Amino acid sequence: MSAHSRDPHDSHAAHGPVTRSGETADETLEHAAHAHEGDHGHGGIGKYLLVFAALCGLTTMSFLTYSSFWPWRDEPQVGWAFMMAVSCTKAMLVVLFFMHVLWEANWKYVLTIPAAMMAVFLAIMLVPDIGLRNRMVAQERALHMARPSDVRLLQQAGESKLLSDQAH
Amino acid sequence: MNASAISIPHDHGHHGDDHGHHGHVTLQYQPGLPLTRGKLIMWLFLSTEIMFFAALLGSYVVLRFGAPVWPKPHHVHLSEPIGAFNTFVLICSSVTIVLALEAARANKASLAKTWMVLTLALGTLFLGVKAYEYQAKFAHGIYPWSPRSRVFEKPDLYYGSAVRARLGEPAMIDRLKELDDTPEDKLTADEISGRRRLKQIRQMVTSPDQQPFDLAVVADQVMPLPPDGADPHGGHGPHGLNDTFPWLELPAVIPGGTMWASTYFLLTGFHAIHVLVGLIVFAIMCTWTLNAKRAGGIENAGLYWHFVDLVWIFLFPLLYLF
Repeated sequence: MSAHSRDPHDSHAAHGPVTRSGETADETLEHAAHAHEGDHGHGGIGKYLLVFAALCGLTTMSFLTYSSFWPWRDEPQVGWAFMMAVSCTKAMLVVLFFMHVLWEANWKYVLTIPAAMMAVFLAIMLVPDIGLRNRMVAQERALHMARPSDVRLLQQAGESKLLSDQAH
Repeated sequence: MNASAISIPHDHGHHGDDHGHHGHVTLQYQPGLPLTRGKLIMWLFLSTEIMFFAALLGSYVVLRFGAPVWPKPHHVHLSEPIGAFNTFVLICSSVTIVLALEAARANKASLAKTWMVLTLALGTLFLGVKAYEYQAKFAHGIYPWSPRSRVFEKPDLYYGSAVRARLGEPAMIDRLKELDDTPEDKLTADEISGRRRLKQIRQMVTSPDQQPFDLAVVADQVMPLPPDGADPHGGHGPHGLNDTFPWLELPAVIPGGTMWASTYFLLTGFHAIHVLVGLIVFAIMCTWTLNAKRAGGIENAGLYWHFVDLVWIFLFPLLYLF
């Protein structure tokens, strides 16, 4: 079923575009696309500007996690979850409105869902070998890899003021 | 199934032009998906691109959360406001390309051209800001590859010997002697203090009584890590010797910094290449008359451009705010 067929007045939508004699399939589809513009012009500059405003607002929201107003500075996980939710919302807005996916026929699922599933599998398949690579490491590697203690050591060095004290 | 696999004429009264020349309707089988070939190819390409960037972003996330230490954005001289500004630029360019498409569909060629030129300008601005950010990394010795990179993971003996080696280079010995001989009235207060601390560091890295903690002090003097939570709007944090004397170019310690650099440059680099390709396409399109006949081409270029925007929507929080 076409997504357009929700509109009962649209004959193209109910039965698909009609190919005229001497016309290639691509030309038919071009004409059909133009006919739809005339019928109910799904884009509309107002709608785009609204989406633009929403995207700007959402970017400001994710930027909020970095500002001093963000109340969960000590729990970064809250910020991460929040930012990912904001990013997914922004991505949905771009895909649905700017890429016109909201108004496309059902082929959109054929192309996007398998690719999205593959994308998720790809990331999951990296977890055992790469995500968990530091659970068991050789002694040699443990000696040379950076650890949280190194960050603390550097901070202590910064706080010690060893060199400025010596100067006095 | 898609509605246009088989075309059946239906509304005789309304769409007179659906009929053939002889008053009867021509039925023709419509193979494939109900979209033009160009758009189908673009969408197939985009679905491969989804997997391409998913692999890159996925490995970044997995590497980052599997790492014992990952640098904070300020440790690696990332500036969040600049990243947010670039996000804004890219969102604006997404709007302008979609407006170019609308104008072209309405057969307003000159308006479409204006939007297209604006998209090109915004994309170029994005790349310019990106280049400026890369420059800030390079200036701090953060490179994705080893011979140029001056980033060390921890203040250990290898770090100490790298500092010693750098200070022992013939050109560096001359430069340091020149600095030592400069009278105090020719130096700023920052340089006088820097020169004094530099002298102590030179003793520390060569001293036979060196303690492990000394190397942490050296690393902190060369390029200090901004403390947690402090100065969230400064971006660059406290001044190190590498900032006071840019010619020093001493090795610096950023725990987790080498892996960070690899993933940062790989992700943003591939994204920048995609932006560049989009800009080339837009530049070619700017030479066309962007009337309704070109709407299909603009739509396909726009789809690609929105995808590039989409990737940045995820890259920005993952790289700058996590």
